[in-house]
Amino acid sequence: MHKVWMVLRREYLESIKKKAFWIGTFIFPFFIVGMLAIQVVASMISPDTAKPIAVIDATGKIAEPFSEKLAQKTLKDDSPRYPVEIIEPGLDAEETRAANLDRVDSGEIYGLVTIGPDVDEERNFRLDWKNIGDQSTENALESALQEAVVGVRIEKSELDLDPAKLRELTKWAQLNTYQVSKGGETKEKGFEDAFIPTFIFVMMLYFLIYFHGYTMTRGIIQEKTSRVMEVLLGSVSPNELMTGKILGIGLVGLTQVSIYMLTGYAVRLVATFWMNVGDMDRFLDTIAPSKLIAFGVFYLFGYFIFVSIFAIVGAACNSDQEAQQLQLPIVGCLMLPMMTTFFFVANPDSMGATVMSLIPIFTPMVMFMRISVLTPPLWQIALSLVLMSGTIYLFFRAAAKVFRIGTLMYGKRPGIREIWRWAWS
Amino acid sequence: METAVSLYDIRKTFGTHKAVDGLSFEIPRGTVFGLLGRNGAGKTTTIRMILDIIRPDSGSIEILGRPMDATVKDRLGYLPEERGLYPKMKVLDMLEFFGSVKGLKPAEARKRALPWLERLELGEWKDKKVEDLSKGMQQKAQFISTILADPDVLILDEPFSGMDPVNQEIFRGILEEISSGGTTLIFSTHVMESAEKLCNQIALIDKGRAVLAGSLASIKEKFGANTIQLEFDGDGSFLEQLPGVERMQRYERFVEVNLTDGHSPQQLLETAAGRLQVRRFEVMEPTLHNIFIDQVGRAPDEDTGSREEVAHA
Repeated sequence: MHKVWMVLRREYLESIKKKAFWIGTFIFPFFIVGMLAIQVVASMISPDTAKPIAVIDATGKIAEPFSEKLAQKTLKDDSPRYPVEIIEPGLDAEETRAANLDRVDSGEIYGLVTIGPDVDEERNFRLDWKNIGDQSTENALESALQEAVVGVRIEKSELDLDPAKLRELTKWAQLNTYQVSKGGETKEKGFEDAFIPTFIFVMMLYFLIYFHGYTMTRGIIQEKTSRVMEVLLGSVSPNELMTGKILGIGLVGLTQVSIYMLTGYAVRLVATFWMNVGDMDRFLDTIAPSKLIAFGVFYLFGYFIFVSIFAIVGAACNSDQEAQQLQLPIVGCLMLPMMTTFFFVANPDSMGATVMSLIPIFTPMVMFMRISVLTPPLWQIALSLVLMSGTIYLFFRAAAKVFRIGTLMYGKRPGIREIWRWAWS
Repeated sequence: METAVSLYDIRKTFGTHKAVDGLSFEIPRGTVFGLLGRNGAGKTTTIRMILDIIRPDSGSIEILGRPMDATVKDRLGYLPEERGLYPKMKVLDMLEFFGSVKGLKPAEARKRALPWLERLELGEWKDKKVEDLSKGMQQKAQFISTILADPDVLILDEPFSGMDPVNQEIFRGILEEISSGGTTLIFSTHVMESAEKLCNQIALIDKGRAVLAGSLASIKEKFGANTIQLEFDGDGSFLEQLPGVERMQRYERFVEVNLTDGHSPQQLLETAAGRLQVRRFEVMEPTLHNIFIDQVGRAPDEDTGSREEVAHA
């Protein structure tokens, strides 16, 4: 035990003395804080600035209800979000529109709405503006226009209807999206909102597992090429050496992940107490304490599954180049679940996601991703943990055998089939 | 006598190559033991089996009277032929680590390392990275790492190869000190001259078998005083053709002649004195080098065998 501890201690202390460790440790929290900053900046810029709208109405009947409707949208200080200026159409609405384009270009008018004389004509309504990606403004204008136009059309059809009643009847039906999770609790969610934070966390899992796994490979190769291996094996058994290294590097990773989790928690606290969280609900949900803990747990399981395979690569190779080749299949196994994130975030309970999350080498990322967007049945999580534990045991045993044979071997790299034979001998 | 290491019929095969083929010998405690043989004779494989780095296919090994286990392993020190240090570690940190995997507490390992660093003039380098040290300094650091835990048995594989004469002298002195403190030293080497200077017990191995084993004195006695060193002026090449001369080796200033049994040195002296200006004539014990050639049929540094390749178990 003493020797395992000493190997672990060296691995840990030497790692945290390296610059790469601290760079890696602080880049990810930087991302998280950066994400928050973007959300904050976005929520500061977009909803809280008034966007002046100008209307040129050739019919003379739409501008009024349109601006009334838009006036309902307000900023936080209750001033109108879309102050409307009604421009007289003059003789030709088209000419007036052209004459006012300068004002759009200069930013004086955010959006210029032009309504032609014939409300039944498809191409009668036109919006000239610069920020064509501003979906929420487009939606607001469209729905206001819709109600106004329907009123005019019904009037034109000469049916005898009460205008107030009419407005009631033609009210725009807005579809709000909610997501149902366990316990019948509902939350407002959108796909884009869930995808980006989840993808970033899955990507972090990938990088962490890969980085620390490959640290194992590189460490073993360096000990072989610098011939320290022989000195070491004169003092410790191969099993002690491998166990110490796995635990030492694991502890390095855990230190890093703990820092991430604490950063996430701190960001959440700050965001909850000192900022307006209205628009960041979904983001904050991805750094809820339970999600952060899931992140830590699935990192550890993922690391322990893959580190044994990385140890095998290190024991079998004599140079970084050889190892780069041999590790490709492992990288594939790690990349695949990352690729699927896009599909599975939308359908976290689908057959594909469920099955994949129960295959141990894919579990860490896929199961974490499912947990991040909804809570899968508890039995599935429990089963995945059991399966991963079994896999860790099997992989560790195989790695121990390859390690014993491979560490003292120089010369030609053994083929995959030979490594396989060692592993299960 | 109590033995430090006993090997009984050890065998180890790599693929089709029999690296060690039924090797048995004993190393008495407190001796300076030479494990001699050409490159490829099985020396490194034997050492690795003594250290439990690899396991023999058959046969048994006892260290300090006990079969190998973790506590016994801590009593062994090992300086491998291919030196290995952590280039990125600081010298003292590295020594602390190597001491600690031999069972020392890290603080104790540090405490023991400091006087050694001072003595070997590495005191100012203790917080420098190993890769910043010169080759000679690295050799010193490696040496300290092997003796830090006060081993009962210290195994040195070609310890002086690639070492400058100054360092050789320093280490020879320290090794003598360690030996007089009761530590058993095991040298593995193909350089007979250095073995002859240091060892009092030897085992000569060839092709994985022990050809000769025992105390150096008894072995020399067994081979008798049939070696003659002759220093002279003139052309001495005719000496080689004389009856009774088994072998003659020329050195810069003298020749060494081996006589076959039954021929007396006296005869040789008379013949030589008749035709040459003899300046020195000395009857000597055979050198290890000559015993080696006699037993193996080839000089120890004549490299015909391939270097030992390890593994493929």
